[in-house]
Amino acid sequence: MSEDWKDQGWAKQFWYSGKTTRRRFIGTGAATAGALGATMLVPAPWRAAFGQAKPYKIGTLQPLSGAAASGGKTALVGTQMAVDRINKMGGINGRPIELLVADYESKPDVGRRKAEKLLVEDNIDAHQGGFLSNVCLACMPVFAEHKVVNLIGVCLDTTITTTKCDRYTFRTFDYAPSQAVGFAPYMTSKLGKRWHIVYADYAWGQSTKDAYAEQIKKQGGEVAGTTGIPLGTADMTPFLSKISGNFDGLFGIFFGRDGVTVANQAFDIGLTKKYKWAGDGAIAESTNIPAQGNKIEGFIGINRYIPVLDSPLNTPAHRKFFDDAVARLKQIDPSGPLPDRYVQSNYEAMNALKVGIEKSGFQGRADTPKLITALEGLEMKEGDDFPQGDKILRKEDHQAMLRQFIFEIKDGKHKIIEVIAASNVNYPAACSFT
Amino acid sequence: MTKRHAKIYWTGFTVIIALLVIAPLVLPEFWRRFLTEILIWGLLAMSSDLLIGYTGMVSFGHSAFFGLGMYGAAAAILMVKPPNLWLAILYGLAASAAVAMFVAYFSTRLRDIYFAITTLIFSQIFYVIIFTWTEVTGGENGLSFARPALGIPGVYTVPFTSTTLHWFVLAIVAISYLVLRRVTQSPFGMVLQSIRENEARTRAIGYPVERYKMVAVMLSGLFAGLAGVLYAIQNRFAAPDFVYFLISGEVVIFNVMGGIGTLLGPIVGAGFFLGLREGFSRLFPWIATTFDMPYLAEFPYLIPVGIIFILMVIFLPQGLLGFMKQRLNQ
Repeated sequence: MSEDWKDQGWAKQFWYSGKTTRRRFIGTGAATAGALGATMLVPAPWRAAFGQAKPYKIGTLQPLSGAAASGGKTALVGTQMAVDRINKMGGINGRPIELLVADYESKPDVGRRKAEKLLVEDNIDAHQGGFLSNVCLACMPVFAEHKVVNLIGVCLDTTITTTKCDRYTFRTFDYAPSQAVGFAPYMTSKLGKRWHIVYADYAWGQSTKDAYAEQIKKQGGEVAGTTGIPLGTADMTPFLSKISGNFDGLFGIFFGRDGVTVANQAFDIGLTKKYKWAGDGAIAESTNIPAQGNKIEGFIGINRYIPVLDSPLNTPAHRKFFDDAVARLKQIDPSGPLPDRYVQSNYEAMNALKVGIEKSGFQGRADTPKLITALEGLEMKEGDDFPQGDKILRKEDHQAMLRQFIFEIKDGKHKIIEVIAASNVNYPAACSFT
Repeated sequence: MTKRHAKIYWTGFTVIIALLVIAPLVLPEFWRRFLTEILIWGLLAMSSDLLIGYTGMVSFGHSAFFGLGMYGAAAAILMVKPPNLWLAILYGLAASAAVAMFVAYFSTRLRDIYFAITTLIFSQIFYVIIFTWTEVTGGENGLSFARPALGIPGVYTVPFTSTTLHWFVLAIVAISYLVLRRVTQSPFGMVLQSIRENEARTRAIGYPVERYKMVAVMLSGLFAGLAGVLYAIQNRFAAPDFVYFLISGEVVIFNVMGGIGTLLGPIVGAGFFLGLREGFSRLFPWIATTFDMPYLAEFPYLIPVGIIFILMVIFLPQGLLGFMKQRLNQ
């Protein structure tokens, strides 16, 4: 069967007639290149779903290929959900959103180039997206140079809203220092005073470790030791087996595949039985749990979003978001994963942009200063736009403060054990716009 | 080269340079920057051609030289106030030269696949150091900085525009090409080609092969570092991703697509590959929108790029410029 194609006329013609000469190949190649060049020069027509209303052009940079592709595709689901919902409801100020998606292949150089393409060729009015912190940081100066508002979707690096902050970039979700403020009191009062931190040894892991160490000490606790494990280490046992001593809990800071590895291997060598086992919620994202099986049972973490419909997330708004996200995620992954924080933060960032545009009367790039003013200090109320809960976007550093969920993994599912209000995760702003 | 050939060559060279000088004045903003980037990647590819095409050594360590050039420039820009363009170039060259010397000393004792693997390992070592040494290198996030102005600080400076930056890059790439061309045509270059053809015989004649190979790696590393400096100045950031060995792999692809052992070929290869990638990344969304086929919007466009690369290796093994050269000779 698999060889049948060789008997087909076109195959014989192509391969065996001797007609596929180098000259032909080059001729066909040149024609293809011509066609390709033509598509590069001809701008894509926008199909008018709103009559003649000029759409708001919103760009979104996502890693749809390369190392971060699976996360990028999930994140894009959140953005597209928000855009579809906004357009369905009549757009913003009667104008639809035209979403321009750019894949940056998980590479900063491509990200930078695609950002420039969105800004100088597509003439986007604003940007919402970004997944990898290094690409977000590489692109921020480009958005600032073109004076275009940039609402980050996933990038977690602390410096985005601290030492490297700028006037045009906003983050409508949390960052490690505020999560640490929220989680450290629970850790030291309910789980133990002495902690050993094991973390992914690179920028995000290191800055998150420092944030937790600071807050644990502030709460009267102690960090007995730290262990950094290089990113992407498949066998973490040599690192984990050295962890021993007199402390109460092991705190993990990992995400993605590393989250699966650390949970499984820490369980295998008995660390999670000997010590309390807690950490960043990224270790136990819904997408990781199937690979962790029962080895993640009892893990206590903190996250801005967990895919459950228990109180306080048993609202009609969250149910709507949840059902829509589940249906869309099934289209890209037939195993039917539950929505994660990437879907939620992109969805809400796009809605924050919508609210900002409505509030400011933003018409296009020339109104960027008005949009910035509207977004600074924006209060986002729990509802269809913001199903995760209330949040406020601080004026001082463009960083949102939002409620957090402390959860436990029980029977392979997230179970909320404490909700920390947005007012209790406040970390002083450390940004100066120049 | 006969007198007639030389005349044709220099006329062609002048025409191409003239076109590249005019290009930023007529191209839209995005394509202007894109062309500058192609020249930078082309310089990197050309530097590796000295090893791949002329010495017969496939290096996967060029990402380390390129990356260290970037970080060297970044260090100068961040440490010296006001940022000095010439100091950035000097620091970048010094950093890449130091790394090239280190890599050359250990790797040139080896040949073929062993040389390639050793250079790859060295680039990975530098990658891990840069990736994890966050306090100094910025770790995964890299370093961001302002672009230095063109001129001499304190005397006369003028900020770069995308057009003047393009001309600056073009001047450096053109000078680098002429220098490398001279090197490959010199007695030293002839020895390198002799090493490529038959290393044992070259040694038997009495040439200190290891020393020649070391100088070749260092020279190649120096020009790769210069490309890194230019990239840092254009994009105002340095990131560990540029030290990762995949960059070296792309550079080998540029060489194969453009034509190994031609110096100019790798620049053509870089332009062709980057243009192809950019074109296909736009083609599928365009088809999806124009012909109402939304499922094509996120088509993995790197697949057709890979297929074209395979077809080129089959049908044009000598690369685009090598093929053109062959046709002209006929």
